Amino acid sequence: MTNIITGKHLSRRALLRGAGGAAVALPLLEAMRPALAAAATTKTVGRVAVVYVPNGIIMNQWLPAKTGADFELTRVLKPLEKFRGDIVVVSGLSNLAASKSKGGGHARASGSFLSATQPKYTAGADVRAGTTFDQVVARHFATESRVPSLQLGCEDSRMVGNCDTGSSCAYTNSLSWRNPETPLAVEVNPRSVFERLFGTMDPSLDAATRARRALYKKSILDLTLENTQSLTGRLGSSDKRKMDEYLTSIREVESRIAKSEKDPEVPTGEKPSGIPFEFREYVKLMFDLQVIAWQSDISRVSTMMIGREGSVRTYPEIGVPDPHHPLTHHRNHPDFIEKVTRINVLHAELFSHFLERLKSTPDGDGTLLDHSTILYGGALSDGNGHSNDNLPLLVAGHGGGLRGGRHVAADPKTPVANLFVDMMERTGVPTARFGDSTGRLDLTA
Amino acid sequence: MGAAVEPPQVFSFVKKNCTGCHNAKLTSGDINLAALDSARSFDESREIWERAVVKLKTGEMPPPGVPKPSAAEVAGVTRYLEAEFLRQDRTAKPDPGRVTARRLNRAEYNNTVRDLLNVDIRPADNFPNDESAFGFDNIGDALTLSPVLLEKYLYAAERAVRTAIFGPEKLKPAMIHYPLPVRINDLVTKPTLPKDLFNYDFSGLSTRHAAHITHRFPVDGEYSFRVVLNGHRPNQSEPVHPAFFIDGKMIKEWEVDATDLEGQIVEVRTTVTAGDHLLSASYLKTYHGLPPSYKGPEPSKRPPEPLISTRGKLTEKDIETLRKYGTKIKTDRLETRVDNRFESLDIGGPFTQPEGPAPASLKAVFVCPQQTPACAQAIVASFARRAFRRPLTAVEAAPFVKLYVLARQQGDSFQEGIAAALQGVLVSPHFLFRVERDRPGAFAPVSEFELASRLSYFLWSTMPDGALMAAAAQGRLRQPAVLAAQVRRMLADPKARALVDNFAGQWLQFKNIDVMKPDVEKFPEFEDNLRYSMRRETELFLGNLIRSDASVLEILDAKHTYLNERLARFYGIDGLAGPEFRRVDMSKTERGGGILAHASILTISSYSTRTSPVLRGKWILENLLDAPPPPPPPAVPTLDESKVGESATLRQQMEAHRANPACASCHSRMDPLGFGLENLNAIGSWRTMDGKFPVDASGLLPAGRAFQGPGELKAQLTKDKDAFVRGLTSKLLTYGLGRGLERFDRPVVNSIAARLPARNYRFSALVQDIVKSLPFQQRRSATNSTTPAAAGAESE
Repeated sequence: MTNIITGKHLSRRALLRGAGGAAVALPLLEAMRPALAAAATTKTVGRVAVVYVPNGIIMNQWLPAKTGADFELTRVLKPLEKFRGDIVVVSGLSNLAASKSKGGGHARASGSFLSATQPKYTAGADVRAGTTFDQVVARHFATESRVPSLQLGCEDSRMVGNCDTGSSCAYTNSLSWRNPETPLAVEVNPRSVFERLFGTMDPSLDAATRARRALYKKSILDLTLENTQSLTGRLGSSDKRKMDEYLTSIREVESRIAKSEKDPEVPTGEKPSGIPFEFREYVKLMFDLQVIAWQSDISRVSTMMIGREGSVRTYPEIGVPDPHHPLTHHRNHPDFIEKVTRINVLHAELFSHFLERLKSTPDGDGTLLDHSTILYGGALSDGNGHSNDNLPLLVAGHGGGLRGGRHVAADPKTPVANLFVDMMERTGVPTARFGDSTGRLDLTA
Repeated sequence: MGAAVEPPQVFSFVKKNCTGCHNAKLTSGDINLAALDSARSFDESREIWERAVVKLKTGEMPPPGVPKPSAAEVAGVTRYLEAEFLRQDRTAKPDPGRVTARRLNRAEYNNTVRDLLNVDIRPADNFPNDESAFGFDNIGDALTLSPVLLEKYLYAAERAVRTAIFGPEKLKPAMIHYPLPVRINDLVTKPTLPKDLFNYDFSGLSTRHAAHITHRFPVDGEYSFRVVLNGHRPNQSEPVHPAFFIDGKMIKEWEVDATDLEGQIVEVRTTVTAGDHLLSASYLKTYHGLPPSYKGPEPSKRPPEPLISTRGKLTEKDIETLRKYGTKIKTDRLETRVDNRFESLDIGGPFTQPEGPAPASLKAVFVCPQQTPACAQAIVASFARRAFRRPLTAVEAAPFVKLYVLARQQGDSFQEGIAAALQGVLVSPHFLFRVERDRPGAFAPVSEFELASRLSYFLWSTMPDGALMAAAAQGRLRQPAVLAAQVRRMLADPKARALVDNFAGQWLQFKNIDVMKPDVEKFPEFEDNLRYSMRRETELFLGNLIRSDASVLEILDAKHTYLNERLARFYGIDGLAGPEFRRVDMSKTERGGGILAHASILTISSYSTRTSPVLRGKWILENLLDAPPPPPPPAVPTLDESKVGESATLRQQMEAHRANPACASCHSRMDPLGFGLENLNAIGSWRTMDGKFPVDASGLLPAGRAFQGPGELKAQLTKDKDAFVRGLTSKLLTYGLGRGLERFDRPVVNSIAARLPARNYRFSALVQDIVKSLPFQQRRSATNSTTPAAAGAESE
């Protein structure tokens, strides 16, 4: 583990202060916990996340045979055993918009998924899909959180042009769309996510060193101010104007520093230096950042792509040196199926880390997991045939009073949008219809 | 030729033709020519009269719908006024002007910190962009300073000083991911090889199968490079050999046996020095070892049957093959494509990193060996002298020494104390700004040290080195022989590359090639290696022109250029193998030489989908003819691009556009110039057809001379070489002074430009004359300022 916690606890206020110079230790949650306990509010807020896995899932290793409360944990679901009571496996849902669309199988799937709207078949700049449900939720809470939504990814998506049989890369690069023309780019660098949430200060120094450095900085600024003032007296008007700009800047920075001195103590630790080299560490860190964003109430909505559709990531650490996407076109070859299954299991294991963090983080009268709604799964079921039916999905968290520990089988070909309507309702965003929904798949019923 | 015109005739001309609109009541265009009724106004309101001359000469005024004066009348009046302007210039009082204190711009900051501390960490790369004026980003008046920038200065000072004294920041390994653009989308079903496959470069670096990126490594250290492959090789091919190169040197070669390369990974670890490096991945001998049906070199010796059943269920033998070669054998059809390429490059690291400061940095800082207060004082004073680029008194140095004392009082080490003091120096206005002192008298020479800074920031974009400082300290720098020798030395120094990067890059705008995005569908051959090669061509051409002290006219009509295989193929020139650049004679080619043959220039003056005679004409007027057109009027209808090449030629479209008189006055100068380059498409490739239509490259110079195609255009421009030289002189003087030119600078520009022919137009002659000129050597004092407001403000 590279991130060592050494210092004090981070106050909620320090976090909320944001870009003024707050600093946070990692593992982020450790630093936050006691502060959060103290700051616990009675008001609980709704939070929504989508965790996306690409290229489908080996369905007979995912789907429990039994429905209701005594469903069995299949091989892919096994890593979530500890959270059995916190999840509802949902089967039978279809991404109808994708089935009706033209274009590459992967682009249609992720391009339509969260909007339940057909994406326009194009490789050009005229991409068009639909506003995704996470963005509807984000807009609903926009005035209450500083960062209305986070789009995270663990696979770089700066590809442009034609990504999948004539379909624009936008449909596979992004999961969230702010409006039908605007796909939202995913942030893949944990450091950038961290700085977006908390600003750029280096939190790795101990408190005494930091105090001394702050003192020197102040003295340097004082000295520079004097220096500049004495120089200004000897200059002509245009030079003087330049020095006045400088004087103004010095005073402004000095007053910023003076303000930040009144802030509570900041913990020490290390901020992410970039993308961790180990994939597991990488995904866990991205989950941690989502948790701390929720915990501090800087943000309430996030979507995260563990991989994008068509992902060719290899997983040598679990005996899969082959790229993911070609493997999923397995033609029922057992070796290929086994390798894909291993990838599916690994992703579920990583997701359990997210649930673990959420469940162990107090929030109001319960935990973060109690007050959130998280969708896990993908927009393809069988990757071999690019199937959009009977999608592999589960909902975690108890937001809106959801009772877990069940497998709910919807009628075949039920639009997945019906589930989104339910998630939005339970988050406190009244929704009659969304995308191609035909009603609400009420999981609380 | 009519009789000589006198002032009364000018005024009667104006009264007859102009003051109907440009009067006190209407003041059309905010101009009241009726008020300018004395010969004194030719001087006092010269800018207005100059504009009038331009409008008359282009025929823009009087506007359509009012009676036109005769051509002879117009010629008489404009000739008189132009002669009057020249007379004014000849008799004008010399004035060196005043340069506003110049804040170091980003390039200057990076270079100066590098030379001060011997650390090359480029802290200014994170600074906000510098503001530009008059075409350059080193203009004192334009460069502003904000609280955000000051925060960055504080952080940069801390980083630079701590790197020098304590060593580079310890970085945890992190991963950087570069997607590599996919440019091969062949849909080939039959065995095919590229048509132009001659004796190709076996490194593969110049093929479209290769990928190139430039990456900045933050510190020396060991890094890992994970290259992900993509694309296909035909069934029955011999294995491919992907290879990885750093700065053109092969680091490792691999062997991969597969028909479907998607997601195959090869990886290597190696040590790399801090700084920019060109990273390349290629396939060695990519057209070797293909099945015999491809008729390529050294065909495959493998048995003719495919490795895997082409259709249906896998056989036992297939599964055995897959076990042996992994899953990367195409299983669903017979593969024929040769589109092996690269998907991405991941750079991980640094895994090991040298610790502690560089000896050269320590040497630069710790000029006194003991850890005593006396040494601290000496160290701080020496550093401040170099940072301020001038001697300073003990009184001036004292506050910085106090920072050292403060740190020691806080219990910090000697080194920490020095670090605090040095950081203070690096945010002082004396470091961040080049402030020049006023001296008694109307105007006076700048000090020897100020002159040293002027020289070094002009030619090197960095602080003066030891030799310049020594000459200044001895008071000898201004001696003509010493000054000339210093300039010669400086131009020969590698640091003079700054003139290419910062001066020429902005003057000719070729640096924009880095951000151009030619349309992928129309120009699939445009990829990053081509982009890089285009930029290198222009950099090498100009760099060599400066180093070899050639004639600046070569910019117009050189017979040579610098090409690598990639660019040579693109230009259609045979027989140039390999990625290194060589001097190539272009005189026998249709394309020819000179800057207008550079693909970089042709691309930056085009739109992403098509050429723009307007942009190219404007570029020529601004940069080669010293006659920049005014900005377009508001609410100009744009060209209907959908028709270009389909129902009408671009030229027909443009001509329709010019039917609008509001546009015609300028476009009749710009467009005909740009049309002369129509043989070169929007990424600078030679063509004879544009869409369905043959290229018509006939054009017209503003002076009315007709020409046909790029070759004749160049010949015509060379005839106008006086305008070119005058323009170049103005630009170089603007850049060298860091201020916009004023009226009183014109005689200086004219006389420098006029002396150049006798000295064979050598670049160094131009620089030497600029350095010797009044505005470069001297400075007007504030008390003699021409604007009363400024004079009043400076009464102390």
